Amino acid sequence: MSRAIKMEDLSVVIKGKDVLKNINLSLDKGIFLGIVGPNGGGKTTLVRTVLGLLRPTTGTVSVFGRSPESLLTEDGAFGYLPQQQNIDPNFPATALDIALMGRYRSAGALRWPGKKDREKAVQALSIMGVEELKDSQYSQLSGGQQQRISIARALAGDPKILILDEPSTGIDVVGQEDFYHLLKGLQKKMNLTILMVSHDIGTVTTYVDEIACLNINLYYHGNPLGALNEKVLTSLYGKNVDVLMHTDVCDKCERLRK
Amino acid sequence: MPEALASPFMQKALMAGVLVSLLTGLISTFIVLRKMSFVGAGISHAAFGGVAIGFYAGFNPLMAAVVYAVIVAIGIETTAKKGRISEDVSIGIFYSISMAIGIALVSLSQSYNIDLFGYLFGNILAITHDEIVLTLITSAVVIAIILFFLKELFLITYNEELARVSGIRVNFLNILFLVALSVSIVVSIRIVGIIMVSALLVVPGATARLFAKGLRSMIAISCAAGLISVVAGLFLSYQYDIAPGAGIVLTSAMIFFTSLFLKKKE
Repeated sequence: MSRAIKMEDLSVVIKGKDVLKNINLSLDKGIFLGIVGPNGGGKTTLVRTVLGLLRPTTGTVSVFGRSPESLLTEDGAFGYLPQQQNIDPNFPATALDIALMGRYRSAGALRWPGKKDREKAVQALSIMGVEELKDSQYSQLSGGQQQRISIARALAGDPKILILDEPSTGIDVVGQEDFYHLLKGLQKKMNLTILMVSHDIGTVTTYVDEIACLNINLYYHGNPLGALNEKVLTSLYGKNVDVLMHTDVCDKCERLRK
Repeated sequence: MPEALASPFMQKALMAGVLVSLLTGLISTFIVLRKMSFVGAGISHAAFGGVAIGFYAGFNPLMAAVVYAVIVAIGIETTAKKGRISEDVSIGIFYSISMAIGIALVSLSQSYNIDLFGYLFGNILAITHDEIVLTLITSAVVIAIILFFLKELFLITYNEELARVSGIRVNFLNILFLVALSVSIVVSIRIVGIIMVSALLVVPGATARLFAKGLRSMIAISCAAGLISVVAGLFLSYQYDIAPGAGIVLTSAMIFFTSLFLKKKE
C-alpha cells in the first residue's frame, strides 16, 4: 500500500516558538486518520504543512510522493474544509453556489463553471444527502447542513485526500454522530484518504482507522483504542486527566470496524 | 427636471456620476463582504496627500492622487504583514501621515484655494471634459479587471485559505484589488470629495447585503443603489441648492435606512 502522507523529522518554529517538534508520521492511502490534541498543540499547523500553506522549518513532508506546494497546482489533489469559524455563516450564496466553488479550479482561470461542473456539484450535494437544499440560502441552513454543504464543495473537485479541520464545531452531539458516520461511509465508498483534526478524542476514536495524538510532539500514532490510556492522555493534556471507560472493548468500535 | 437636464454641466455631472456609481457599486460589494470599510476610508483620506503633492509639484492632482493612493494601499498591506501589526493600526499610521504631508504642502504652497476644497468636499458640477474621459477609461479598466477575476475574488472573500488551496494567487489578487480600490477612490473624489467618498464604497454594498441571495445579485443591487443615490442626489442638490456630494451621500443613507426598515418589517 503506497503512502498518502509522509513526514520525516518535521519541525515548525513560528516567532521563535516550537509549534511542531520532530514529527515522524506516515499515512497510507485510503486510511481515515484522526489527529487529536489540546488547543495550541499544533494540529492546524500540521494541516497547513500538509496543504503546502506553510513550509516546515526543518524536515520534510510529502503527499502522494510529491511536495505539497507542487500538488497545489495539480487539479483536485486536496479537498479541504477549513475551520467553520473562519467562514461567514451569512455569506450571500446558495448551497449550490458553495458546492460549485469546488469546481473553480477545474473550470480554469477566467471561466465560470459550466454544465459539467454544475452536474458534479449537484452530485456532491447528493452524496452528502443535501441535494434538495441546493437552491436554499446558505445563511438560512443549520450548522450541520452548512457543514455537509462545505464537504460537498470539497468533494466536488474529486480530491485524492480530504482534509478536515475541526469539522464538528457548531454541530450538536447527535448531529456529530451522524456526521462522523457519513465521513466513514464516504471513506469506504470512495476509497478516500481522510485526515481529520479534532479536539474530541472520545468520539473520534470510534470512527477513525488510526489516531495521532499531538501536542507539539507526536505522542502516539496507531490503533485508536491504544490511545485511550492514562499514559498517552496525560502526555497529551497534562496531569489532570481522569480516564473513564465503560467497557474493556468498545462494542460500537468493533461493530464499525467490521 | 428637464430644465436641469438641459444644462451642459448637469449632463457632464450625470455622465460622471453614472460611471462612478457603477464602479463603486461593484467595489462596495467586496468592501462590505471582506469587512474592509476602514481600508476605504483610510485610502481616501490618504489620497489628500497625493492631491496636495500634485498641486505642489504642478502635476494633475488626480493622477498624482492615483499613484499616491496605490503606494499607500500597498504600504498599508505590506506594513501590516511585515511589521506584524493589525491592518487597522497600519491604516491609522498611513492615513494620518498622508494627511500631514498634504497639510504641510498646502502650507508651503500658500494656496489653500477653492480647487483644494473641490477635492475635499467634491464638486461634480465643475467636472471637466478631460476628467470625464479619465473617469470613463479608469472605470472601464477597473470594472473589466474585477469581472475578469470575479470567481477568484469570490472564493478569496469566502475563505482566503481555501482559495490558496485551490491554487489561486491570493497575494497577487489582494494587491490587484487594493489597486482597483485606490483607483476607484480617486476617480470618485471629484464626485463626493475625499471626506465622503467612503460612503459610496460602503453604503451601496451594505444596502445590497440586506437583500442579496448571491454574489451576482449583490453586485447588481449595490450598483443600482449607487446609481439611484448619485442621480437622485444630484437632482436634489440642483433643486435645493445644496452641495452635490452631501446630496448624494444623504440619498444613499436614506436608501439604506429605508431598506433596513423594510427588511426588519418582513
